[in-house]
Amino acid sequence: MTAIRIENLARSFGAVRAVDNISLHIAHGELFTLLGPSGCGKTTLLRMIAGFVEVETGSISFGDKRIDNLPAHHRDTGMVFQNYAIFPNHTVAENVAYGLKARKVPPAEIKSRVDKALERVRLTGYGPRAPHQLSGGQLQRVAIARALVIEPAVLLFDEPLSNLDAQLRTEMRIEIRQLQQALGLTAIYVTHDQEEALAISDRIAVLRQGKVEQVDTPERIYLRPQTAFVAEFLGSTNMVPGVAKAFDGRNTQVAAAGTEFSVRGEIAKPGAKVLLSLRPEALRLADSSDGPRVEARLALREFLGPVQRLHATLPDGTPLRVAALGGAAFDAVPGAPLALAYDPDQIIAFPAS
Amino acid sequence: MKRFATIVALVALVLLAVFLLYPLALVLDASIRVDSTGAFTFGNYATIVKSRYYLGSIGNSLLAAALATGLACAIGIPLAFSLARIDVPGRALLLTLASLPLVLPSFVSAYALVLLFGHAGVVTTALRGIGIPIGSIYGMPGIVIVFTLTLYPYVLMPVLAGFQAVDASMEEAGRNLGGSQSYVIRTVLLPIVMPAILAGGLLVFIEALENFGVPAVLAEDRPFLAVDIFKLFAGESDANPAAAGALSVLLIACTALALLVQRHYLGKRRFSTAARSAPAKLVLTPALRLLAAIMSWGIVIVSLLPFAAVLMVSVLRFRGPVLTWELGLDNYATLLSGSYRPLLNTLTLASVAAVATMLIGAPIGYVVARHRSRLSGLLDFIGMVPFAVSGTILAIGLIVAFNSGPLVLTGGWLILVIAYVVRKLPFAIRSSSAIVHQLDPSLEEASINLGVSPSRTFAALTVPLMASGLVGGLVLVWITAASELSSTVVLYSSRWVTTTVVMYHAIEGTGAGLAAAAAAVLILVTAIPLLLINRRTSKQETTVI
Repeated sequence: MTAIRIENLARSFGAVRAVDNISLHIAHGELFTLLGPSGCGKTTLLRMIAGFVEVETGSISFGDKRIDNLPAHHRDTGMVFQNYAIFPNHTVAENVAYGLKARKVPPAEIKSRVDKALERVRLTGYGPRAPHQLSGGQLQRVAIARALVIEPAVLLFDEPLSNLDAQLRTEMRIEIRQLQQALGLTAIYVTHDQEEALAISDRIAVLRQGKVEQVDTPERIYLRPQTAFVAEFLGSTNMVPGVAKAFDGRNTQVAAAGTEFSVRGEIAKPGAKVLLSLRPEALRLADSSDGPRVEARLALREFLGPVQRLHATLPDGTPLRVAALGGAAFDAVPGAPLALAYDPDQIIAFPAS
Repeated sequence: MKRFATIVALVALVLLAVFLLYPLALVLDASIRVDSTGAFTFGNYATIVKSRYYLGSIGNSLLAAALATGLACAIGIPLAFSLARIDVPGRALLLTLASLPLVLPSFVSAYALVLLFGHAGVVTTALRGIGIPIGSIYGMPGIVIVFTLTLYPYVLMPVLAGFQAVDASMEEAGRNLGGSQSYVIRTVLLPIVMPAILAGGLLVFIEALENFGVPAVLAEDRPFLAVDIFKLFAGESDANPAAAGALSVLLIACTALALLVQRHYLGKRRFSTAARSAPAKLVLTPALRLLAAIMSWGIVIVSLLPFAAVLMVSVLRFRGPVLTWELGLDNYATLLSGSYRPLLNTLTLASVAAVATMLIGAPIGYVVARHRSRLSGLLDFIGMVPFAVSGTILAIGLIVAFNSGPLVLTGGWLILVIAYVVRKLPFAIRSSSAIVHQLDPSLEEASINLGVSPSRTFAALTVPLMASGLVGGLVLVWITAASELSSTVVLYSSRWVTTTVVMYHAIEGTGAGLAAAAAAVLILVTAIPLLLINRRTSKQETTVI
């Protein structure tokens, strides 16, 4: 059982707090994603767990065993690197066997385990090949096999898919997820791609400037962001500043962008400044059904196939993106008025700083 | 990982302290003491400043180095441009040949000049025979010519790389914005390659300033720093170690200053444009293209002619000092009749030194490239000190340091090897750190992550990945150690005479034929491994990932 406990971990580079007092508890068998923009400290945190960046303060434990004082080669983690880091002077099989040899596994056992690992990543028969004969996706699989074969306490993924093309990326993330679940390994996965994070994770930690913004399931991270940063980082939400008005026992009215929105719950005292997050898919072209609506004006329409994106402006000129299905009949021309309906429960309000 | 780097850095620093800094400190110490009593004085420096002879010596050395630098740039830059941008016939061969003068011993080239244009030179006598007197090539003209022809590749190579690293779009952007071809060259191209020109030029300056062999062969009565230091220290009649020390300190000051200027300048300017598409070759009229071809081939051929002349003369018979036109291997017979010893010594010492240099230099280069810390920064700096120290001075320091006391090395082979290792170490460090920079650090991290300790990862993964580059470095160190003269001539003992020493004495004396044969042997010994390694690397380039 490898649960991971990270307590008050910190690390600075010069004046920059790369990892700023982070505590995380990761359950056994969980695929836990560190998500954030570049420079948020996610890779530093991962490399601290792997032992490539020294811990300044705080501790890291695998189960009951504290590991942050162990040298990197004794930590028993299997890391998949962004650029694969396949040893160019070894064959595919030698690459996969590398960690087993370091662990002094008997040669006969190495052979069978390497074969099994290659079979698992669907590279049976590729063992004798040289790395330069393989494609990017295949190299990625070798890297995964090499990390899996040592049956590590923890799997670490450092943006493993960022060098692959879009098609392969979606295929590989399904394979990674299935392998991780089948083997029941605890995994930490670093990415800056929010869609990838949502698709693959049991839980996600959103990081910003070395601090954790929110730790939650993908659904809650997306639908119930706790900070404006999380809301903005996941999906292309509309952020509209406004001022709270009276709470009517069910919804709070918010004056914003020259109009008024209803937001579920008492989000702020009257007169307080707030930021509203309106997801493009939470807005829809109003039909006859009742419920709150807002008047806007169409500025531009992009037809993207499965969906179409409408660029509208609110009465004071604030731009607003609206997602509609591609098949929806639509005949408004730019400049035409646009009535948009929404569910007050789907608007998230944050205190404006 | 950190521990491994620290251990390497500490061991390297101890070695450098004992065999480089300590000897140099002793030289500095000697320069501020009265020779007989050991009392503290600045008198040695005062003597130099008051002496017209020594001031002349300093002036000559600086002048020769400055002239050679200017001329090397004057031929190196156009040649680099031609090779980069003009479709010169035989470009690949030209490139290989142009790098040869760097590793061929420059004093052999100087000696060839004497053979051809000296007092009894082949060309001189021939011209005198038909009534055309030619001026003397001894002194400044000959020395500057030899420096220029042997050192210009230091300018050519980086500038060529600079021209090739300028992305085509740079020039296109300049043209698109309305600049004429020459305006774009002046305002875009030259500023981008300027750091390369400066880097190469300063290397020429330093090498020319330190060089012992060329002025030793060609200076005649003109005083030159490197030669005077040697004579003051090792001379039989007018030895004066204190004055030698003072001159050494002045020479080191000059070279160190040049080196610091170079580092400072390059530290601020580094234009890497990461060329995606190389600029197209210039479209020239046939006449201009012919001119470029003649110029390019002309420079390279002229720089290699002296070596060809030596090879040729070595198979001609001498009658006393007079060259005849009869073919024969008499010179080689004379060279080898005494003993095979010098040749054997040269091969042995160069081999031991080359292996030792790479064994020490590769880990240092690795640590300097991979582990940025104060310790590795210090190591990087001290590792470059040998660049600023001429072979003669280092050798003098080694003699003073290890002539007595707990560690006596003088008179043996080890002191020669130590001198070679220290002198060639910057090269080994630079070349191996350059290789390490090309290796993705995550390869090593992957190995460590899989459970292999950092030191074993270095030995089992990094070294094999560096191997092809290290072999190249090994061969180059071997070549330059085999043709080393300036420290050898100070440190050798009768048991450990090398081919360079044989040649040096033959030039000093009357053994013209002997010198030619020794010079020819040196050329072959250096050129053959170089050509082998060139073939090897050109074959491997495609397979390196």
